Amino acid sequence: MMPVPAGTVQRPGAAPLAVGPFWMMKSEVTWDLYDVFVFELDKSSDSTQAGRTVNAVSRPSKPYVLPGDSFGHAGYPAIGMSLHAAREFARWLSGKTGRRYRLPTIEEWQHACRLGAGRAPGSSGPLAARAWFARNADDKTHPVASRAPDVLGLHDVLGNVAEWTVAGADSGVAGGGFSSDSAAVSCDAWQSQTRAWNVSDPQLPKSRWWLTDAFFVGMRLIAADS
Amino acid sequence: MTQTESVSRRSFLKTAAALGATPALMAAAPRVYADGRATIRVGLIGCGGRGSGAAADAVRGSEGIEIVAMGDLQPDRLARARTQLAQEIGASLRVDDAHAFSGFDAYKKVIASDVDLVILATPPGFRPTHIKAVIEAGKHLFTEKPVAVDPVGIRSVLASADLATQRGLAVVAGTQRRHQIHYLETMKRVHDGAIGDILAGRVYWNQGPLWAADRTPQMSDMEWQIRNWLYFTWLSGDHIVEQHVHNIDVANWALRAHPVRAYGMGGRQTRVEQPKFGHIFDHFCVELEYPGGVRVTSMCRQQTGTRGANEEVFAGTRGTASLADSNAGGRIRGATEFQRAKLPDDVTPYVREHTDLVASIRAGTPLNELRQVAESTLTAIMAREAAYTGLPITWDEILASNLDLTPGPLEFGPIAMPPVPMPGVTKLERTAFGHGR
Repeated sequence: MMPVPAGTVQRPGAAPLAVGPFWMMKSEVTWDLYDVFVFELDKSSDSTQAGRTVNAVSRPSKPYVLPGDSFGHAGYPAIGMSLHAAREFARWLSGKTGRRYRLPTIEEWQHACRLGAGRAPGSSGPLAARAWFARNADDKTHPVASRAPDVLGLHDVLGNVAEWTVAGADSGVAGGGFSSDSAAVSCDAWQSQTRAWNVSDPQLPKSRWWLTDAFFVGMRLIAADS
Repeated sequence: MTQTESVSRRSFLKTAAALGATPALMAAAPRVYADGRATIRVGLIGCGGRGSGAAADAVRGSEGIEIVAMGDLQPDRLARARTQLAQEIGASLRVDDAHAFSGFDAYKKVIASDVDLVILATPPGFRPTHIKAVIEAGKHLFTEKPVAVDPVGIRSVLASADLATQRGLAVVAGTQRRHQIHYLETMKRVHDGAIGDILAGRVYWNQGPLWAADRTPQMSDMEWQIRNWLYFTWLSGDHIVEQHVHNIDVANWALRAHPVRAYGMGGRQTRVEQPKFGHIFDHFCVELEYPGGVRVTSMCRQQTGTRGANEEVFAGTRGTASLADSNAGGRIRGATEFQRAKLPDDVTPYVREHTDLVASIRAGTPLNELRQVAESTLTAIMAREAAYTGLPITWDEILASNLDLTPGPLEFGPIAMPPVPMPGVTKLERTAFGHGR
């Protein structure tokens, strides 16, 4: 986790909003961590095992095919989780650690992104050195933190995977991902979910947990306490 | 069927309809849709997530599709599916209470309803009986894969396949890679010689675990086994048949043949909890020997914490073809280079398979995939039995085998847990609850 200082965010058509301070994950959530949640690797078959239990957090269904399995696994960002799954993951991780993790709001995410980018756009070097996107990513995700960090020490805020954020009643992913072109890799880039994100899920109802076709969707959590 | 034949067939049927064909003829022949706008009335048997999804996909795939009858063993699954489908397809769901059936005989009532096409999406163990009933009733069919779990079931399905052809009935199976655009484009090039003669291949579906249904105190053995059907060979065929049949089907497709022999191994190493995980294996690795000595390695695994792989790769005298139902898409390397990614704009194969089925019915040129999917299913059964027994199993042996895994009368009540197969002990010819006879 890296500290993100307080500040204000000005969004189009809205009053300036004070955000922060908070802590933000240095990297996107990896499969290494998300596997523990999905496959219940924290649960021992030994029922006498002591340890913190997390009440009332449901676990994802077991996927028929792990999204983007051909990209790589260890060290790669977890992808294809629904908003519901991302939120449950944050609740589970909070219960496990005693620290309050959650998804950032769009204002918090943009604030961190802009602070990280520095005063002038591009001041942290060429985009290809800082982000995986359509021009350099070979149409796949890459291990987290394999590009240069931003001013705040955060990796891959732009590109690699677009990250779940909460925006009022709406929700979507921010920052663009490995398949986005350079214009769609920015602190303003934001997409809300479309039917295409899980169109090839053959079940009805479609999974609450997995987006079968959204390989570019991932997450990074924040914690407001210190 | 040639273009000329199909036109003359359509002309005949139009004429027959106009003249008021004899009742005897109409009773035997399926309704045929010379007019592309005629509504096709669909009955759904098996109302789980896949069955409901298939019904919605059928509606999405073509104009003029109505779901008019539904059946499921369990009333709760039936009710849930009716609610879900009402939300998903609106007015295309036209199932009243009189055409919503539950119980072991629900399938008969759906088939006896005024339907033209039946979707089968129950656990695979019931499939041969249901397929036979659909075809004998003169209905077109969409059947999920696999189509049987044992050789006795396969022989029934092969007879149904021939009957469907005789009666001009259309059958499409849920081996959806056969309707997936990047598979079709890549496989066409393989068949046109892009990689030369195929020398060897590998087909994999390795992944983590799947869902398991917990038992409640109210459930009889029979009800619980059926709700937890993945983990009982008499219901699912084991995961090599239930799931890996997709990849094995691609091997048969690439080689345009079924194997003559299987030799391999498998076991149950992490799936030890009983009764939760029934008695099936959690990994298989089997060598499939095709005519001419071509070997294809089949591998499938469902184990937590292991690395996945889901692909089909073939090496030939002039190059290599790799296919995957993932972002990797289809690719040919060697003497010729070709790549066809899986694109976001591609129509999902789960819809295309229904579009192709309905178009074939309306054109009067019915597709019949039943023999093809039966052979792929039997290939998977042969591979499973090679691993269960530890012995090489030939195609002729498995096709003639009397292995019948049906546990007895289908009724709610007590039923034993079949033993975990043990290589060297388990025989191909065995009873439903034993290692041998």
